[in-house]
Amino acid sequence: MSLQNLIMNLQKFWAAQGCYLAPSYDLEVGAGTMTPDTFFRVLDKRPWRVGYVQPSRRPTDGRYGENPHRVQKHHQFQVIIKPSPDDIQKIYIDGLVSLGINLEDHDLRFDEDDWESPTIGAWGVGWQVMLDGLEITQFTYFQQAGGVEVFPIPVEITYGLERLEMFLEEKDNIYDLKWSEDVSYRDLRFEEEKQFSEYNFSQATVRSLRENFRLSEKEAAKLIEKGLLLPAYDMCLKCSHVFNLLDARGAISVTERVKMIAQIRAQVNQIALKYTSGEGSA
Amino acid sequence: MDFLLEINTEEMPSSHVKMALDDLQEKFRKALAAAKLAVAEFSLYSTSRRLIVVGDIAERQEDREEIVTGPPKAVAFAADGTPTQAAQGFAKSKGIAVGDLQVIKTAKGEYLGFNRVEPGKLASEILSKFIPQVLASMSFPKMMKWGTGSLRFSRPVRNLFCLFGGQPLSFQLEGLASTDFVYGHKLHAPQKLQVKSFAEYRAALRENLVIIDQEERKTIILNQIEARLAPLKAQLYPDPELLDKLSNDVEYPFVFMGSFPEEYLNLPLEILSTAMREGQKLFSVVKEKKQLPFFLGVADAPGDSKGFIQKGNERVLKARLEDAKFFWEQDRKISLKKRAPGLKHVLFQEKLGSYDDKAQRLKKIVAYLCEKAEAKKVEKDAVGAAELCKVDLVTDMVREFPSLQGKVGGLYARAEGLPDAVAQAIYEHYQPQSLDDESPSSLPGALLSLADKLDSIVGVMGVGIQTTGSSDPFGLRRNAHGVCKIILDLPLNISFTRLLDKVFSTYGDKLKRQKKEIVASGRDFFINRLRYIFEKKGFRYDLVNAALNAGIDNIYYSGLRLKALDALVSSPQFEPLILMAKRVNNIITGQPAFAVNAGLFVEKDERELYSIFSIIKQNITPMIGKGDFAQAQKIIFRIQPGLNSFFDHVLVMAEDNKLRRNRLALLQAISKVLLQMADYSQVVVEGEKPTPRKSVPAAS
Repeated sequence: MSLQNLIMNLQKFWAAQGCYLAPSYDLEVGAGTMTPDTFFRVLDKRPWRVGYVQPSRRPTDGRYGENPHRVQKHHQFQVIIKPSPDDIQKIYIDGLVSLGINLEDHDLRFDEDDWESPTIGAWGVGWQVMLDGLEITQFTYFQQAGGVEVFPIPVEITYGLERLEMFLEEKDNIYDLKWSEDVSYRDLRFEEEKQFSEYNFSQATVRSLRENFRLSEKEAAKLIEKGLLLPAYDMCLKCSHVFNLLDARGAISVTERVKMIAQIRAQVNQIALKYTSGEGSA
Repeated sequence: MDFLLEINTEEMPSSHVKMALDDLQEKFRKALAAAKLAVAEFSLYSTSRRLIVVGDIAERQEDREEIVTGPPKAVAFAADGTPTQAAQGFAKSKGIAVGDLQVIKTAKGEYLGFNRVEPGKLASEILSKFIPQVLASMSFPKMMKWGTGSLRFSRPVRNLFCLFGGQPLSFQLEGLASTDFVYGHKLHAPQKLQVKSFAEYRAALRENLVIIDQEERKTIILNQIEARLAPLKAQLYPDPELLDKLSNDVEYPFVFMGSFPEEYLNLPLEILSTAMREGQKLFSVVKEKKQLPFFLGVADAPGDSKGFIQKGNERVLKARLEDAKFFWEQDRKISLKKRAPGLKHVLFQEKLGSYDDKAQRLKKIVAYLCEKAEAKKVEKDAVGAAELCKVDLVTDMVREFPSLQGKVGGLYARAEGLPDAVAQAIYEHYQPQSLDDESPSSLPGALLSLADKLDSIVGVMGVGIQTTGSSDPFGLRRNAHGVCKIILDLPLNISFTRLLDKVFSTYGDKLKRQKKEIVASGRDFFINRLRYIFEKKGFRYDLVNAALNAGIDNIYYSGLRLKALDALVSSPQFEPLILMAKRVNNIITGQPAFAVNAGLFVEKDERELYSIFSIIKQNITPMIGKGDFAQAQKIIFRIQPGLNSFFDHVLVMAEDNKLRRNRLALLQAISKVLLQMADYSQVVVEGEKPTPRKSVPAAS
């Protein structure tokens, strides 16, 4: 039992469901939802099935490696299936069973939790899936992305890998997890958490972050103009991450927060509109 | 015949389920009535995955008879009595033999025609047509689509099952065909079940771990909780909302109990119970108002024989409590006072500055309120609380549990040894959160809450952000309700206009709109809010308008005026007074203002009216000043005989300018005094058409 085993099992299960196994995206993102493999693919009309591991950064969740279950970078296994199959809940449950969880002995609940990402103008309806009180998955029927109504409706299944593995290994501390039989989560991630917490909360230079935000936004505007939607979207992702860092530095006021999110969302909306109207390509 | 419909969906939120049941009830009744189908019994059940309609519906519509008329008798038969072309054509068009036609007498004369019996349609045909229409027309607070379908619903509809008279009824809903089976519990008994009646359905589901009655599930939960708590002689920390949610969310409730290490008992009850409720939806267990190291949870499972559910929840809870404990300890390392400058970095509103700016304003407003409310004694505590009340926004605890803002600040203030009154005021300064919530229990808390809410209202209005029916991003309506409730509850006897003025001035030059403009729109906004509050309390809308039209400069007095009016409505003197007041109003409307000259009265009745009015005015002025409207109202009744004789014997619109103006002046003076009580012209009396409302009804 190990994280990499879990990943392999999920990959195997979802590949058998016809999902293409995508490589993780190579930019900092807050969630698997934000990568192009989800964002662009839910917008168009074509069927789509994908599964991938996505390292996800939430700078404000950093705890210097001192908190047993909170980290500034965790890993998600992201699944998108479009259109959503009629028996998707059953497929998802079968997936849990395939991980060796005997659901007869547990309490599995789909607990109301509609998902929304103001930054990318996306929202959906769904649940947080709770297994004996532990949130292991976010399960969402997308309704809108980039401010655009989506159709057919994709279903998004996002597993929190560390959470799920803590459940499987019955561990109370994330750092005690095994990544493989020989390598522990601590070996791989502890130092990283310490250093990045220090960077996120104390060392990131606010002025240059603001400058980065400004430059990326400017670049995005230019690229949108040129119809280069993929790089334009990358610029938006950069803005989003820089925003998260500024937030961790405590440098963003409430209204500024609203304004910056609105700025990113406006560009993402433009990208989505151009993409769906065929004005640019991605 | 027995009717049963089960709409099987993925898990719906409990608020949606409640609305759906009402919606289904109404739409089914309407559709059945429109189809002229008799229905004897009708009931609804639900789980988070099922909406269930049960009824006893007639097998078919009643036969309908109607008379069909054709050509007039005169045209229908030839002289020899044989049917004409017209008669034959009519018979053919109706598919009936000419011989079967009769002469029918109608009010317009005699016509050729026949009696047609339209046999009632089978209910099954009608039902399979309207059920899909009813389902497709249901609405939810938030709707979704799924797959490639166009149906919008609360959550995806996955199975439709309908029985009518023991037989499956088939219909289609946007491509989904009804089936002849239902499912048991999704996880623990997922098999397909075939049933022939509601009794069978109910029993089969129970056997397969689904209890269809929400109330029964609630009772089961409460009984199991009771059984768990009895040995401990402990109680549940009451949480009716959570109980409702869980009764909806589980199809087969099983209450489990778990514990957590006692070290976490050092955390305040508010924090412990919030940590348990949010996330895992667990109940706290208390004994003599003290938290015990136990919790109760409700699983959707037949049991927990291996203890996995309990252990899993214990592990998750421990992690959450560890977090809360960490925040509780870390946050308190820095005193609120030392933390306060951090508010400079938290923006309240873009154009209105930071929360630090807000705190500085609150200090001034609170000091003003203490002075005006003759509460100098509490000024030090109230101002101290104002300075620190927002500081918990920069604590980790509030970042983790935003619903605890204010409370956390109060708890920290108490823990660091600040005066009790300061801690209490901080703790309760967000109250009341709604009209049903309690106002703060302490005077400093109430004044601080009032100041905070008014500051937000004036500021947001002042930068020109509009609050409309659908858009109220800063919660101004809720804030205004809080303001009114606090003023009425305390009560607070102060000039509201001057208070708005004061709040405006604390903003310095930050507000782009003019003071006059803001105070005026603030006034209108509050009139609407007060109207809403009073009407919600059950007061007659016309009395509310009458009381509010007398001015809202003193909100407390508005309430008293309304109560005085309401108390006198049934008095025999009331209606004549209203009519008289309206008469006075009608005469003086549109007239310029004149001054009374006592020397110019010539008639006995006008002299007498003036003299009784002067006495009444003298008497009631101090009463009105004190807000004793009930007493003043009673005295005002005494003007009526005088007014009566005046109208009977004195011509107001006299030709002589001086006389006329003087008489008008007297009526104006009377009207002015009456208006200090209420705008009687707004009161609707029997036999009179209601006066149109001056403003639109307040939305919530």
